[in-house]
Amino acid sequence: EAIQRRQVSHFTFKPDPECQEYGQTQKMNLFQSITSALDNSLAKDPTAVIFGEDVAFGGVFRCTVGLRDKYGKDRVFNTPLCEQGIVGFGIGIAVTGATAIAEIQFADYIFPAFDQIVNEAAKYRYRSGDLFNCGSLTIRSPWGCVGHGALYHSQSPEAFFAHCPGIKVVVPRSPFQAKGLLLSCIEDKNPCIFFEPKILYRAAVEQVPVESYYIPLSQAEVIQEGSDITLVAWGTQVHVIREVASMAQEKLGVSCEVIDLRTIIPWDVDTVCKSVIKTGRLLISHEAPLTGGFASEISSTVQEECFLNLEAPISRVCGYDTPFPHIFEPFYIPDKWKCYDALRKMINY
Amino acid sequence: MKWQPLTRGDRRAKEQLLAKMAVAVAATKFWGPSRGLGRAGLLLLRRLGARGVACSHPRRQQQQQFSSLDEKPQFPGASAEFIDKLEFIQPNVISGIPIYRVMDRQGQIINPSEDPELPQKEVLKFYKSMTLLNTMDRILYESQRQGRISFYMTNYGEEGTHVGSAAALDSTDLVFGQYREAGVLMYRDYPLELFMAQCYGNVSDPGKGRQMPVHYGCKERHFVTISSPLATQIPQAARGPGYGIMSIRVDGNDVFAVYNATKEARRRAVAENQPFLIEAMTYRIGHHSTSDDSSAYRSVDEVSYWDKQDHPISRLRHYLLNRGWWDEEQEKAWRKQSRKKVMEAFEQAERKLKPNPNLLFSDVYQEMPTQLRKQQEALARHLQTYGEHYPLDHFEK
Repeated sequence: EAIQRRQVSHFTFKPDPECQEYGQTQKMNLFQSITSALDNSLAKDPTAVIFGEDVAFGGVFRCTVGLRDKYGKDRVFNTPLCEQGIVGFGIGIAVTGATAIAEIQFADYIFPAFDQIVNEAAKYRYRSGDLFNCGSLTIRSPWGCVGHGALYHSQSPEAFFAHCPGIKVVVPRSPFQAKGLLLSCIEDKNPCIFFEPKILYRAAVEQVPVESYYIPLSQAEVIQEGSDITLVAWGTQVHVIREVASMAQEKLGVSCEVIDLRTIIPWDVDTVCKSVIKTGRLLISHEAPLTGGFASEISSTVQEECFLNLEAPISRVCGYDTPFPHIFEPFYIPDKWKCYDALRKMINY
Repeated sequence: MKWQPLTRGDRRAKEQLLAKMAVAVAATKFWGPSRGLGRAGLLLLRRLGARGVACSHPRRQQQQQFSSLDEKPQFPGASAEFIDKLEFIQPNVISGIPIYRVMDRQGQIINPSEDPELPQKEVLKFYKSMTLLNTMDRILYESQRQGRISFYMTNYGEEGTHVGSAAALDSTDLVFGQYREAGVLMYRDYPLELFMAQCYGNVSDPGKGRQMPVHYGCKERHFVTISSPLATQIPQAARGPGYGIMSIRVDGNDVFAVYNATKEARRRAVAENQPFLIEAMTYRIGHHSTSDDSSAYRSVDEVSYWDKQDHPISRLRHYLLNRGWWDEEQEKAWRKQSRKKVMEAFEQAERKLKPNPNLLFSDVYQEMPTQLRKQQEALARHLQTYGEHYPLDHFEK
């Protein structure tokens, strides 16, 4: 039958073992873990406010459900359809000292706010000689491929922002990670962009602590140790490379070290380099297009720092240099087969 | 520099300025330099005395005709008067712009001189365009629910704005639609087959399967391909005048009002070479998209009001019935026929293959860059080895 029904997912979400450190946990999916983080923030910080398009009724992905009822219309409110205004407003109130949590409905729509982020938010502290800052601004936005999002509901724009000193960019891989990282972004004294993999909103379910806890920014996590090759990714793609690591072990007897980068900028050079020094091989993978994608920054730095340790050229398995297509998505994404194939070539180099 | 002779205006200005300066100087002498002019002022006065009031420079001379001593505002670009009463402009004064309409909610013409008096054939085309769109919407919305297409957006309630405006334009006028304006294409006789092709992203899609459903485009019909981002700078009628744009607000559910306003706006835009803003008020009856449940943010009663009491299709149907240009028989037959046409197009579209995956790579630029060609070749090689893991059977070879 030539009818193409719903696509099979290109990844399998594997929950991390339950964390015992932070008290009572509850089963939450990704959007619920976000709600939990926001709830904790608004509860403890009376200056914290949440705003963006459609956040009042709970948001198009349900991330803000219940918060307006709980904290009132002065603290959880809608904005007009104007990304430039959302971020500009957020910067303004952050400068006065409020904790501003802005939502951009899809990362694909962040570009009208680009000037506000790059020319205002990122430079606020620097240009004022530290007299002023908008560090209490956090921008959250759904990110990444979702199966049928096409050009304007699938983008991963982290590379555009990686080129901008003054902001932090963070991408979680799971509900537990998301809550801890989001809380850290909100607390962080610098403007942060927090990209949430939308394909994981319902698909990723884990035990997540009910109370606040913080996962540090600018620290990558080695989620699986290995000796033959280092695999680096962030967001949804972490689950793809995890599976590739299993495939490599099973089919090739290759031991992979899997790293979730977590913070894009400022990124954890030490953890990645330490790993590459051990393994001698590096594969980086992201959905965003290859050219100018963040893998190029990682690759460049690693070859500078670890040149003599490398057994093979660094491999990047990424989206193609095209806009994100609709019907061709299965061919476009850097799926496990492309990653596996690149890994195989590196091992045989 | 050649001296220009003083004009009478110049002279008066100079004398008045000097008089003021003299007062200031006197004050300075009396009170000391901290009041009145001060040192700088005295210097200025001396310079003025020697050279006249800046009349040596031709541009300055022109400025002096808008004398700074005249009590009108001199701000460039401001044509207002001064006011000495402190008053804020109330926003709701501006938002009370009246709404132009031709038909009442029962399809009766209110003011006969505003009736465009279109021939039966044309009005039937309006009606059939709107209803065919409605039928296509119902079927495609349902097909998304069944997992046959990935996504859909209906046009319920807004059909009047599409068809009224499209009808008033020339067929060659270039239209930049947003994602809820498919009625323009429907009016311009875009084939059902091609609507479906885009929604299914099949081989017949002129857009080459690149965008989510409802992102239609047609070069031959002068309809620029829709994209998802919404323009955030479009003013409403209330702000049109603020932008210096001729503006009108119309009842978007009254297809004749939309038609009249668009027709006149187009005529004048071309004749006067200036933009015209038409704010067509309407109501989105359907959910935003198949990803939305609008009961989360609006009442069912509100939606029902618009669906039952003020729908562009119903109003036009009343008009047709009143005129004797339509009846229940024809309505039944047309419903059946339009549904059949849509279903046929739909079934055919579903059976077709998707375009060749090579089309993933073209049209990024007009010419394909070397690096991109290499990526295309890499995918082709990859599929040779790993093709079993991809839905290649559904795609053209």
